[in-house]
Amino acid sequence: MTGTELALLALLGVAIYLDEWPAFQTMLSRPIVVGPLTGLALGTPAEGVLWGGVFEAIHLGFLPVGAARVPSAGLAALSGTAAAVLAGSAGPVPAALAVAVGIAGGEIGRGVDHLQRRWNGRTAERVRRRVAEGDPGAVGRGVAAALARAALLGVARTAAALAVALAAVWVFDAGPWSGPLQGSVLRQAAVAAAAVAGARLFVVGGARRTAWGMGVGAGVALAWLGTA
Amino acid sequence: MTGASHRPTPGDRRRIAWRSGLLQSVWNYETLQAVGFAWALLPGLDRLYPDREARSRRLAAHLEIFNSNPYLASLGLGVALRLEAEVARGAAGAERRLERLLRALRGTLGALGDQLFWAGWRPALGLAAVVAVLGTGSPWVAAVYLLAYNTLAQTVRARGVDAGYASGAGIARVLQDPFWRRATEACRTAGAFAAGAALGAGATWALAGGVRGAGVFSLSLVLLWLAGARAGSRGGRVLSPPLAFLLILALLSAIVHFTDGASG
Repeated sequence: MTGTELALLALLGVAIYLDEWPAFQTMLSRPIVVGPLTGLALGTPAEGVLWGGVFEAIHLGFLPVGAARVPSAGLAALSGTAAAVLAGSAGPVPAALAVAVGIAGGEIGRGVDHLQRRWNGRTAERVRRRVAEGDPGAVGRGVAAALARAALLGVARTAAALAVALAAVWVFDAGPWSGPLQGSVLRQAAVAAAAVAGARLFVVGGARRTAWGMGVGAGVALAWLGTA
Repeated sequence: MTGASHRPTPGDRRRIAWRSGLLQSVWNYETLQAVGFAWALLPGLDRLYPDREARSRRLAAHLEIFNSNPYLASLGLGVALRLEAEVARGAAGAERRLERLLRALRGTLGALGDQLFWAGWRPALGLAAVVAVLGTGSPWVAAVYLLAYNTLAQTVRARGVDAGYASGAGIARVLQDPFWRRATEACRTAGAFAAGAALGAGATWALAGGVRGAGVFSLSLVLLWLAGARAGSRGGRVLSPPLAFLLILALLSAIVHFTDGASG
């Protein structure tokens, strides 16, 4: 991995972390977007697109409601895609390794979230004290400090997740795996994951069966037209 | 107290709407979104309370606790701005009314927004995007996904302050509007459609891929469903989706390894 690629991924890591919850939530941090961007940074956009779809499928069911701490889907996609690309399409590392690295990346993200929220607690306390003393500008400074810290943590957690990816590729390079799962096999598993997650989220208890049935028909028709 | 010249302007409301994008910047376990909420409201408070001490006092009242869905919070900001203007005018009981209303809005805005965005719009679009991206391999799917998501989410955020300011204490009427229920229902119906499309398209691609394709798809489908099923013997814990997917890939990897090894 070159210095430019590392710098691009670090920048992407910052954007992912800020977008996940501290700023704007535009969904730039979703795997479906992060996958292609990571692929682009590493010179293999097509592979990134595929991995974006895979990681989106397996993170569909995590809902960030209330104070829930969920794995970072964006960091999972970044590190998992990087692992897949670094291993090489003809290399000895199977797709399962990329997903394992992605899971680790997502958990690193979850841990950093906890840390940042605790630090934010101290910032909030400091802001309250200053405002009570008659300094309304303390609120703006608190927001700026929290965002700056989030940007730094974005770089740190991306570096940590990429280190996991590099280490995993290095260790498994000499492992007993015979070859990567073919793209078609990976796609089938990912579409199955999406179908299961979707059914669980939206068709619970048989509600909306009509829409679901029409979707099955439309999916068959579109896929058939695409492959015919 | 303030005069007519200190009413919040449309420019103030625009600045508040823009700042609401950073509502969660100082999210923490004690005051939740309160710091972001207070900072977003500050352009309005600057206008209403030219006196620094009065401004600090009102700002401190908003630093206690606030939590909501990040997109719908702008409605709460608009309501707070309207009632702050009443507080600044010295209206009787306005301060208590504002406090009570914000407390009530926290839960309502959170529930409405979470249903609409986190449990409806985002997974429905994500699901459709997964099918599209795995079917076409096109990087444009990501761009369409971003555009579609933000058309709704950022519009609600941008217009929420004006809507909240216009309705003030009558915000309940806005929240009872059938639009919210219909939009959530539409998202969930679209999600059910996309879930069906994933199944239909996946099955068709799998069959086109021969016996192995059909086997991989069916096996993944069944195992992922079983992995998500509640395991009563484990205290109702559910296997996380990424871990379930990893186990299935490992299993498929082993099958591919041995079948390819045997044929090669």
